[in-house]
Amino acid sequence: MSPVCFAPDSGGGGGASTPAPWGETKVVGARLPRVDAYERVSGSAVYTLDLQLPGMLHAAIVRCPHAHARVKRIDTAKAETMPGVRGVLTGESPGAAIPWYQGREGPLSLLFDPHCRHEGEEVAAVAADTALQAHDAARAVVVEYEELPFVVDPDKALAPDAPKVHDWGNLLGQPRVTTRGDVAAGFAAADAVVEMTFRTPVQMHTPMEVHVSVAQWDGDRLTVWDSTQGVYAIREALAGALKLPLASVRVVGHYMGGGFGSKLELGKYTVIAALLARRLGRPVKAALTREETFLVAGNRPSNVITLKAGAKRDGALTALEARLSGPVGAYPTSAVSAYQIGDLYTCPNVKFETTNILIHAGKARPFRAPGFPSCNWALEQVVDTLAEKLGLDPVELRLKNIPTVSQLNDNAPYTSTGLARCLTEGAVAFGWTEARRRPKTAGHLRRGVGVAAGMWGYGGDPNATAIVTLYADGSVNLNTGASDLGTGTKTVLAMVVAEELGVAPDRIQVEHADTATTKFAPSSGGSQTVLVNSPAVRAAAIEVKRQVLEIAARQLDKPVGDLAVADGAVVVAGAGGKRVPFSELKGLGERRMLVGVGMRHPHPEGKLALPFAAQFAEVEVDTRSGAVRVLRVLAAQDSGRVMNRLTFNNQVFGGVVQGLGFALTEERVLDRATGKMVNANWHDYKVPTMLDSPAEAECLPIDPHDTECNTVGAKGLGEPAHIPAATAIANAIHDAVGVRPLEAPVTPARLVALLAAQERKG
Amino acid sequence: MLPSFAYVRPTTLKAAVAALAAPGTRAHAGGTDLLGCLRDRVFPADTLVSLAGLPELVGVTPTAEGGLRLGAMTTVATVAGHPDIAARYRALAEAAAAVASPQLRNQGTLGGNLCQRPRCWYFRGDFHCARKGGGKCFAVDGENRYHCVFGGETCFIVHPSDTAPALVALDALVRLAGAGGSRVVPLEKFFVPPSADFTRETVLEPGEVLTEVVVPAPPAGARSTYRKVRARGAWDFALAGAAVSLGIEGGRVKHARVVLSGAAPIPWRVPAAEQALIGHRLDGATIARAADAAVAGAEPLADNAYKVPLLRCAVEEALTALNS
Repeated sequence: MSPVCFAPDSGGGGGASTPAPWGETKVVGARLPRVDAYERVSGSAVYTLDLQLPGMLHAAIVRCPHAHARVKRIDTAKAETMPGVRGVLTGESPGAAIPWYQGREGPLSLLFDPHCRHEGEEVAAVAADTALQAHDAARAVVVEYEELPFVVDPDKALAPDAPKVHDWGNLLGQPRVTTRGDVAAGFAAADAVVEMTFRTPVQMHTPMEVHVSVAQWDGDRLTVWDSTQGVYAIREALAGALKLPLASVRVVGHYMGGGFGSKLELGKYTVIAALLARRLGRPVKAALTREETFLVAGNRPSNVITLKAGAKRDGALTALEARLSGPVGAYPTSAVSAYQIGDLYTCPNVKFETTNILIHAGKARPFRAPGFPSCNWALEQVVDTLAEKLGLDPVELRLKNIPTVSQLNDNAPYTSTGLARCLTEGAVAFGWTEARRRPKTAGHLRRGVGVAAGMWGYGGDPNATAIVTLYADGSVNLNTGASDLGTGTKTVLAMVVAEELGVAPDRIQVEHADTATTKFAPSSGGSQTVLVNSPAVRAAAIEVKRQVLEIAARQLDKPVGDLAVADGAVVVAGAGGKRVPFSELKGLGERRMLVGVGMRHPHPEGKLALPFAAQFAEVEVDTRSGAVRVLRVLAAQDSGRVMNRLTFNNQVFGGVVQGLGFALTEERVLDRATGKMVNANWHDYKVPTMLDSPAEAECLPIDPHDTECNTVGAKGLGEPAHIPAATAIANAIHDAVGVRPLEAPVTPARLVALLAAQERKG
Repeated sequence: MLPSFAYVRPTTLKAAVAALAAPGTRAHAGGTDLLGCLRDRVFPADTLVSLAGLPELVGVTPTAEGGLRLGAMTTVATVAGHPDIAARYRALAEAAAAVASPQLRNQGTLGGNLCQRPRCWYFRGDFHCARKGGGKCFAVDGENRYHCVFGGETCFIVHPSDTAPALVALDALVRLAGAGGSRVVPLEKFFVPPSADFTRETVLEPGEVLTEVVVPAPPAGARSTYRKVRARGAWDFALAGAAVSLGIEGGRVKHARVVLSGAAPIPWRVPAAEQALIGHRLDGATIARAADAAVAGAEPLADNAYKVPLLRCAVEEALTALNS
């Protein structure tokens, strides 16, 4: 008999056998520490950056120091003779003329493009025995540049005489207008109208682990270890760049030190490592320095958002009209999202225009809910202002406009929405009404409270495959292609197996994120990891359980319906029922393993499964120094089922602190005279510290018991935990001191200026 | 990436001074600033001369005159946590505690904190600026939100140290050892403004080492404090700050030092603010006058006008704290 026995029809994809929703769960939802917590905190976990292969060389990349320049000449002679140097790669090297960044009419650039369109663009690379030698040699490569005029200010990039990033200009496509209803009529019908213009900063991802790849060849087959959010996406892009069959490329991404969206796409350093490794016949590691990551590994674009909103006396929105623009950097991507303007609230008349601008700066990459926090900064401050004008409680006004359908998607209903509950139950848990009633202090330390709601607009990819294998001793292998960015994916997926198969989580080994040994999973991004992979894992575990029960039924001569699994054993129903540990199942002993393959079940037809949130913040503003202290935050999150309360809280608190950075401290600064980034390091680019984090942070899960979204009832969390965080702080600042912080981050400099202007106005 | 360099660790001050007389050498104390400068190619070094083999440079001891001697290699954390300093030189203890982060305070030294190089992002970054011999200040018309509002000329850095303004306010002296013996300099005269020489921050000559800081006995009725305003709670230099040291007798201010941080290329002492205090009771009106005087004549750049109210606030809050 074959050791592998599975029947996709009975456990895998296809709606026919969709398992019933979980009732009360034993493992799922518990506060289970990460399955790899010890490895991560003890230092024994081998991240890509830690990887050492025998004979491995180190690459360093020569980068353009100018915002815009043309390479006239590269002289590598000196670098090639330096100690430890094994090879130098330029655009002239065989196989290095690789197109990069697709435009509408073909590639826009090259791996080493002599036309450098932003500071940090790749010009050449060196491989040496040590990283220090490689960097010394990279500095010894002599490059002659013709400096060209540049534009890094998006406000100036569309001027007719602005230097062009590409021949066709600095406007990426045409401004896109989306309309619903009649905004003019909507404003005419409004009792209050508000219009404001907001500015948000360029925020940097700054994951703990820098961007890094190690490449090794075996004949024509390439293995790459990569600090990536998705091994399958990287494999496709890498195979495409090197013109290799998918089957010849293996991408591995085990321990991973964060990405926030910056590690979804193939980096040039990965291809550079592969080219050098092939040429030199040795493995090559290419690790960016922290400074390099600031220049070339993506960012959240700044936004300028003008938003006009109208509402009736009772708070019902009548119209929303917005213009959003932002710089994508030097190559195409998207800089803005008006999604929440179109869909967070019920509003019959909506119009928004989005504009993407090219500038001579590093290309943006998706960053924790691309476009959403910036849009939220505008929308939720405008909604707050409307409430103030109408004399309504901000929570009350929001509750007046809760949709149950997606207006942007032909009014398709949501499988569930806990938005109203997030607002009402969050307000109660926060003590919102009491806090608002508290008299404002007259001194220089002023307290205020704010709320912001938010939603995320992506429900996940349709496909993922997982394999669960039960071995003869009762231990289990869970095989999933999913990457664990440090968020606890491995732990949550193991808990799904434990729940379904009745084995302890510590009996489950997770094998993941390796294109050679696991099956397809989409990249861990878009808040989809749990909701896409858990159903596949559950299906695989159910299939193994089916086989276990079948074997046990034969052995015990009982109907399957009388049997269940618990604590690593088959249990016969009834008081004092017999208990047979998996290791004593004869059929399993013969086969040595039982294998179940599970696939994700299709999305519910005609419906959307999306997460919602409302966050509340209390701040103390020092009106003399402009310092803002976030005293406490309560995050009410409808992300469906809580899979693990510990990792759930971690995601939420991380999202809140990253939002706090957006609101108060983080901002890329480009020098206006040279176009170069002046704060490309972890000191000058100010990520909040523990002392800046809220002293009190509470997480309130709102679970609408969604039985339609997927077979585990979980919705996305990583992004909705972050989206409203900054705006809740902004609204609390306004409540405290009465000024509207239109521009983020609200630094002491900006707040002192706002307060001075307020005083002048009296 | 850190460039390669030679490393020596002399065990006598004489040997250290001799080693430092050679060109291309740099003194290595805690290294928290030096190694960053080397990694960022702010300046080169062929040889680092470690001061870690000189135990006589570590420690806090009373002087015969009733003051304290602080060895230059004493860590910032030790200064922050020393009971005598907290009791008698509160501004220094508070300033030391406000430096950087716990890790950096454990590794960084008091001498290093006084001798650290400017944090101007053009000086630290890939810009050939005036202070690095490039003949041009990028900040004066550039991104200057963190730059000076007093004392800028050719170069517009702010002095990064928190302990320096506190020590100037406490009338500290520093001992500098060189090949020909040692000299003692008031800390206030240790720092070089750009108007005198924009390529150096201190009077240290090549081959000279700062070996100790001496704070004299506090004046009668002494009280002092340091107030720092910053962009985030840790690991951040002052946006604005004030070290204030007063001697109050019979309810009136007899002795006053007001020194601003985050304001100027050197710790910025403001005699006008001190004059506004001396002879007066430390009441609200006096405090307001002194705070106004502290920022009179500020010359903000395009992006740093916010510093003026912040500095005023720092002085006001420091004085108010001393009044309670």
